[in-house]
Amino acid sequence: MKIVFDQVDKKFGIVYAIKNVSFEIDQGEFVFITGNSGAGKSTILKLILNQLKPSSGKVLLGDVELSQKNKNDVNNTRQKIGVVFQDYQLISDKTVEENIALILDIVSYPPEKIQSRIDKVIKEVNLGSRRFLFPSQLAGGELQRASLARALAIEPEVILADEPTGNLDPENSWNIINLLKDINKENNTTVIMTTHNNEIVESMGKRVIKLDEGEIIKDYKHSKK
Amino acid sequence: MSQLKTTWHHIRRSPFQSLIAAITILLSFFFISIFAIVNSGLSTVLKYFETKPEVTLFLKDGLDDTAIGNIQKDLQTYNGIKEVSYVSKNKALEIYKEQNKSNPLLTEMVTASILPASFEITVSDPEVLEQIYQNYSTKTDIIDEIIYQKDVIDALLNWTNVTRKIGFIIIIIITSISFITMVTIIGMKITNRKDEIKISRLLGASNFYVKKPFLLEGIIYGLFGSIFGFVFAFLLALISQKPINDFFQPVIFIDLNVTFYLILLAIEIFVGAFLGFIASWIGVKRYIKY
Repeated sequence: MKIVFDQVDKKFGIVYAIKNVSFEIDQGEFVFITGNSGAGKSTILKLILNQLKPSSGKVLLGDVELSQKNKNDVNNTRQKIGVVFQDYQLISDKTVEENIALILDIVSYPPEKIQSRIDKVIKEVNLGSRRFLFPSQLAGGELQRASLARALAIEPEVILADEPTGNLDPENSWNIINLLKDINKENNTTVIMTTHNNEIVESMGKRVIKLDEGEIIKDYKHSKK
Repeated sequence: MSQLKTTWHHIRRSPFQSLIAAITILLSFFFISIFAIVNSGLSTVLKYFETKPEVTLFLKDGLDDTAIGNIQKDLQTYNGIKEVSYVSKNKALEIYKEQNKSNPLLTEMVTASILPASFEITVSDPEVLEQIYQNYSTKTDIIDEIIYQKDVIDALLNWTNVTRKIGFIIIIIITSISFITMVTIIGMKITNRKDEIKISRLLGASNFYVKKPFLLEGIIYGLFGSIFGFVFAFLLALISQKPINDFFQPVIFIDLNVTFYLILLAIEIFVGAFLGFIASWIGVKRYIKY
């Protein structure tokens, strides 16, 4: 699914969250969106997810403008996108396993395959011992991994990861990054990841969109260290 | 199946709200069942009196066959007479014994001689009743007592109508209260689960997917309330059957007719599920804006 931003502005009152943002991301690309806090990184992800609507300009997913899509199309599009939210967005009274089961149910995953799929993604993010715990019983890093497991469960076309390593120790950060890299390579899944972590960005050698005060100041491919 | 699990999860996570919703529906259906049972009993009482002769003339003791024959002939001359039947003292004793067969003490001491003979008259034209009543009430030498059934039926009908109206009003009030309670409780549950709804939407859940567990919840309360409301009313009818039927003797006020109760249960289950669905649908419509 190709993602296109065409001169997109998003304003909250008189404040621009992003201003005149244009870029194209092809299916299978791995893109980092970087910038300081408040630069507009999360706003871009929310616009892709149609959680926010642009004040002006166009956001196209798979050649269709999001604002032109009806509710069903938006739901169907969201079902193809795995999201790792910065604030995790896990349902508080469901266990890790139940949170993953919920998204599989939403995308109408074959019921007989749900358990094996849950087992697989929980193993991938190394949360086996925490699968029956509730979000309130997990540490920050574990919450992030649970959120990632949920995003991976549906075998999405696109993964939006909003600071997925923000609360992780270096070892777990690298585990997650390597996992995303493998998924991107093996399944041709588009990965769009916001991060502050320059070390990760520099070592991956992937495309970087750098934002400052809502505007793109650089869109380049980082040479691998 | 998964949506049913989610519904059950919602019920378990706020048990007191769920209990209040279920109990208010249960109370409604308890009163509806009681009303239906009482209504059926009242109809039986009415039917009993309606099928009874409309005027009964009790004769003085000692009248000979000629006098009795003359009375019968005279009665048959009135226009609009459907049937005139003579109940002799012996026949009266038979009827009395049949009506009191469960209580031998009442039948042991009674003989045919102490019971009056009578004429039972049914008419096709109610106006004749008044004429017969007027004419025979003055003949105190041959008539001991006249029972004019129309008065009884009119009074009973009046009483039955009042009872039905009051019952109907009570049911409307209780059902409205339980309906509003259910809408409010479903609304509270939606408010409590706002985050879950928001997250599900971000994950691509459709409008119906999000609403379905709440709609199912309403239906479950309706089913639970209607079934248990019926069961409690049935148990009450079972317990009170003997004293109430003894009071209304010879009419069987509470008749444990299986067909009647099965039809009542089926109707209540349907109405309960429908009521629950509509209440939750209104709650969902009001509180989940898309």
